[in-house]
Amino acid sequence: MSSVGKDIPHDSAKAHVSGESIYIDDFPPARSELIVDFYYAPTSHARIKSLDLSDASKVKGVHSLYTYKDLNSDNRFGPIVKDELLLVEDLIEFMGHPIVVIAAENLKAIKKAKNAIKIDYEELEAVLTIDRAKEKELYLGPTRRIKRGDVEAAFKKAEHIIEDEFVIHGQEQFYLESQAAIVYPKENGQLEVHSSTQHPTEVQEVIAHLLGLQMNQVVCITKRMGGGFGGKESQATHPAAMAALVAQKTKRPARIVFNKDQDMQVTGKRHPFKNKYKVAFDKSGRITALKADFFSDGGAFFDLSTAVMARALCHVDNAYYLENADIRGTICKTNLPPNTAFRGFGGPQGIATIENIMEEIAAYLALDPLEVRKVNLYGEKDRNVTPYGEIVFDNSLPLIFEELEKNSQYKKRKQAVDEFNSKSSWQLKGIAVSAVKFGISFNTKFLNQANALVNIYLDGSIQVSTGATEMGQGVNTNIKQLVAGAFDIDHEQVIVMPTSTEKNNNTSATAASSATDLNGSAALDACLKIKAALTELAARIIQSKELEIQASPSSIVFENGFIYDRRRPATKLTFKELVKQAYLNRVSLGERGFYATAGLDWTWEAGEEKTAAGHPFLYYTQGAAVTELTIDKLTGEIQVDRVDILMDIGNPINPGIARGQLSGAFVQGMGWVTSEFLSYAKDGTLMSHSPTTYKIPNIQDTPKVFNIDWIDRENKVNVAGTKAVGEPPLCLGLSVWCAVKYAMRAASGGKIPKLELPASNEEIVMRLAEFSHSNKERAVLSKN
Amino acid sequence: MRDYLVFYVNGEECRVSGADVFQPLSSYLRYQKGQTGTKIVCEEGDCGACSILLGRADNGKITYKAINSCIQYLYQIDRCHIVSIEGLKNDGELNPVQEAMVKCHGAQCGFCTPGFVVTMCGYFDEQKKADPQSIKDCLTGNLCRCTGYEPIIKAGMNVDPEAIIPLAKLYPAGEMLRCFEQAGKESVQIKSEEQTVFIPANLEDALKFKAANPDAIVVSGGTDLSVIMNKRSYEPSSIMSLCNVEGLDGIKSTNGIVNVGARVTLSQLEEFFKERVPEFHNILWVFGSPQIRNAGTLAGNIANASPIADTPPFLFIMDALLELRSSKGTRQVRINEFYKGYKKFDLQKDELITSIVIPMPKKDELIKLYKVSRRKHLDISTNTAAFRLSMKGNQIENIAIAYGGVAATILRLPKTEEFLTGKELTVSNIEAAAEIAVSEISPIDDVRGSKAFRNQLARNLMMKLYFDLSEGRLAACPQ
Repeated sequence: MSSVGKDIPHDSAKAHVSGESIYIDDFPPARSELIVDFYYAPTSHARIKSLDLSDASKVKGVHSLYTYKDLNSDNRFGPIVKDELLLVEDLIEFMGHPIVVIAAENLKAIKKAKNAIKIDYEELEAVLTIDRAKEKELYLGPTRRIKRGDVEAAFKKAEHIIEDEFVIHGQEQFYLESQAAIVYPKENGQLEVHSSTQHPTEVQEVIAHLLGLQMNQVVCITKRMGGGFGGKESQATHPAAMAALVAQKTKRPARIVFNKDQDMQVTGKRHPFKNKYKVAFDKSGRITALKADFFSDGGAFFDLSTAVMARALCHVDNAYYLENADIRGTICKTNLPPNTAFRGFGGPQGIATIENIMEEIAAYLALDPLEVRKVNLYGEKDRNVTPYGEIVFDNSLPLIFEELEKNSQYKKRKQAVDEFNSKSSWQLKGIAVSAVKFGISFNTKFLNQANALVNIYLDGSIQVSTGATEMGQGVNTNIKQLVAGAFDIDHEQVIVMPTSTEKNNNTSATAASSATDLNGSAALDACLKIKAALTELAARIIQSKELEIQASPSSIVFENGFIYDRRRPATKLTFKELVKQAYLNRVSLGERGFYATAGLDWTWEAGEEKTAAGHPFLYYTQGAAVTELTIDKLTGEIQVDRVDILMDIGNPINPGIARGQLSGAFVQGMGWVTSEFLSYAKDGTLMSHSPTTYKIPNIQDTPKVFNIDWIDRENKVNVAGTKAVGEPPLCLGLSVWCAVKYAMRAASGGKIPKLELPASNEEIVMRLAEFSHSNKERAVLSKN
Repeated sequence: MRDYLVFYVNGEECRVSGADVFQPLSSYLRYQKGQTGTKIVCEEGDCGACSILLGRADNGKITYKAINSCIQYLYQIDRCHIVSIEGLKNDGELNPVQEAMVKCHGAQCGFCTPGFVVTMCGYFDEQKKADPQSIKDCLTGNLCRCTGYEPIIKAGMNVDPEAIIPLAKLYPAGEMLRCFEQAGKESVQIKSEEQTVFIPANLEDALKFKAANPDAIVVSGGTDLSVIMNKRSYEPSSIMSLCNVEGLDGIKSTNGIVNVGARVTLSQLEEFFKERVPEFHNILWVFGSPQIRNAGTLAGNIANASPIADTPPFLFIMDALLELRSSKGTRQVRINEFYKGYKKFDLQKDELITSIVIPMPKKDELIKLYKVSRRKHLDISTNTAAFRLSMKGNQIENIAIAYGGVAATILRLPKTEEFLTGKELTVSNIEAAAEIAVSEISPIDDVRGSKAFRNQLARNLMMKLYFDLSEGRLAACPQ
């Protein structure tokens, strides 16, 4: 019956469709509960001269107000560099930075208190763009570099060179459930924190640090999130810490739930990048050298920016072999909320850069962009080493490209697209293939570890607890299937419990697509320990019934809910009977498992030139997609006509859940490259701070034809032969952007059509207006 | 005079009075009834996580429509039956929509899921057939960030409509209808410390109240006012809710003139114009979401006076009339003369808009309406344009043009109209007209687009008209 590989429903599906799943704000309010909110910086960069809370504290219904002075120890924290202040001391570094925590009996009192807070400050120059930060040399950390070969020598010999700059804007995570936490004060200063977080351990650690507690005094529990997408990796910590402060001070339960506008205004987003690049290539389009200089907008504090940049640098090669490469990355410090994790974590920005280059080389050489991609593709036996030195082993890209080109009828459709464009008056069609080769594992080696707790009860039912957090991606369902598979019992006998730092300590964030890989492996480790003991016992029990054989653990089989000796298959124990016997024979029915990914290494400072090198990833998840779309030239409206996705995701543990990750990630990526536009006022105010003004894809925007498939290939190095699938398909959303870029070729009068990301309707209309203007000028010139 | 609201939630009678009536239905359900399946995300009707089915008495039965409960305040739902996600199971078992969502992986994080299930249940309560497009059309108002929608569309296609138990059967209407009828006999007034709401039982009471309380804010669908209340702490001291006023909810058509009552919803309008003026229907189709259209009214869209409202450009080119009534009498105003500046219009404090009179297109007239927004569906416009014209061969005989999103109010473009009258339909004439159009407008930079973009769109929409005309994509409306 092995439950691994089965398409069973998500373990919360029935509760989800009934409205019975519990999220933070669904907890029934405790009688003495306080509502927590915060007053935040009304400007982007300023020095506070005075802060007067006297009127605010008198508002009816307000219980108390807290500032940084109420935090017990050092007010600084951060996931990598401890530079962020939970509450502003005197320097406001971004609009939305919390200054005062407000605890009140009701929302009305909070609103009134916010209006009653008096603040006086001296405005400082707000740095709100990458360009301005560069002018002022405001950076977070050192410039990092990946280098191979000799780019300068290659440029000297180059047949062709393109040199330009590529602008990539940010993206809001837009999880449906905004940031939320409830904290219950317990005995002896202990706190029980319920947080909508991807990283319970970080919430625990930061709260302990800010409130002067030992980590063992704080328990953080996460049942589920209403979406995370990276936005709750490091930044769920802030609301939880504010509620914890109130709970600690008042000894009353404290609840904080951001509203959507507030959430979008104060939290960080996908990093905007502005990347300079210089690429040399031959007449076939094969790249001989790439020099790239990445600049990301890190916002006011480090947050995860260095790790995001690392992944961006490690993904600029994407699916393509770069013989000579010199890639640098610098993080700009600006007065915007600290930018943070978002599905892909820098990977998409690196990949976008090279996919843009592929389209530009093809436009420059008047070639089919697919042919340019194919001549650059990583090989299976040679041309298969990344610029940082990792071998792309078991490379499935050549197979994927071949199958996808054939099955999608790319050639025929591209011809039809070109023909259409030669005739159409007001529409353009575009078609493009883009690829992904996404490194799986955290770049930071020590994060690649996990522990799990498996408890079997007397009736044979099982509880599993791991550090993985469930945000819809189905990690709990995957783990449940792995555990059921380990004993070959019905998956209904297994429940995955809420994530809690009480059961699993020092866990890594549910991030980097690797939650199933790491936590599933740890859970299996625990299962195998129990199973070994059960096997011994079963051998003895069966031998006691079948006296003519010797007890032989190696002959014991767990199959279909039964346990038997393969030499005497008729004598069966049910799993429940064996468990009961184990209890009576005092054999442990609970174990803790541990997993650490083997063979990883990574340094930023290899060799004399101090460049990056190593083997940061256990394997790569790979794939490609073809998108065909139609653009209204006059309004910039895009209709995605057809998408074909083909990936190598190993053997999925649950094909239905894997498929949902593919469709969901693709559409999220499509939103990033088309309609999702973050609009800021001159003073740094985010103007698109709710779904009225920030447009994630709607059901009407889904591709008219949407084919999703994967190749049949086991991933031998990972648990159950599977591959991580959370982030990689998001990068395939870039095929939509590339198809727009290709369509623009038909209107650009032979020039490379420049295009920012996202290709919003405004970007498309204004670019086309530029083309038609310059085309007209050329026509006038040639007449003269 | 009644001093409480009466409505039903999942078949159970609820009476609410005092300060509690001044809260959104979603908050009431979650925090007072403890029914937390209804989720609150955007509080502005743009995500659908709070969708519920609103049942109103309708000729001896109760008709249910999906609406956003975050922007329906309780004083808007007097004499209604609310069915929320908690009320949709059949005898404790998942219903066919829920079953299909489970089977097809239609839920991931689950936060948007109740809204999707409710909306889809509303659809299958009315419709016995589904295709991918009809599923998309019914779910335009529900955002999902996890699934990419593909599994949800699949779930919709996997529902067996025959297996659906109709809401009329789950919740027999008899007792509720009797209660509603009894309660409808008198007007309602409810006060809190800071606010008063009056719910007139008829138009006469409404006009009297407005005369006595000229500053009272009038709420019908509330799809805009409730957003301002949620987001900007707007707390009008006096509110008049029209939810019980009968006689304003019909559409009449006589001799080429259509009369639309002030409480007619955009959904009703969408249905009415489907065959009659397909262009207007298409604009209504992309207007907001089904949940918004089921609540919002044409009169509300007019009185909201936004320069980017989607319905007025059509009304401008049709030279529609607004019927305004007060206790003193009735007058009519041309919509072309109604707006006096940004959010300013010619409506006296004691007057109500009671109906909108729209002359239908004549036999040879062509109508073309455009709406440009960042996202096609459920988005507020960057620019809008409306054209009404008649052609004689390749010559433009008459033309009326209205542009939205390019000034403080929606504009007619008299100079452009004058220039084009009598001109041949050629690229150069249209290009010249486009430049005149740009000279007549004064767009601004904002979150929906830059000034330069809006000017370019003003040109492009003129060119779009040219292509639609010259490539034969415009047909006269059926008479």
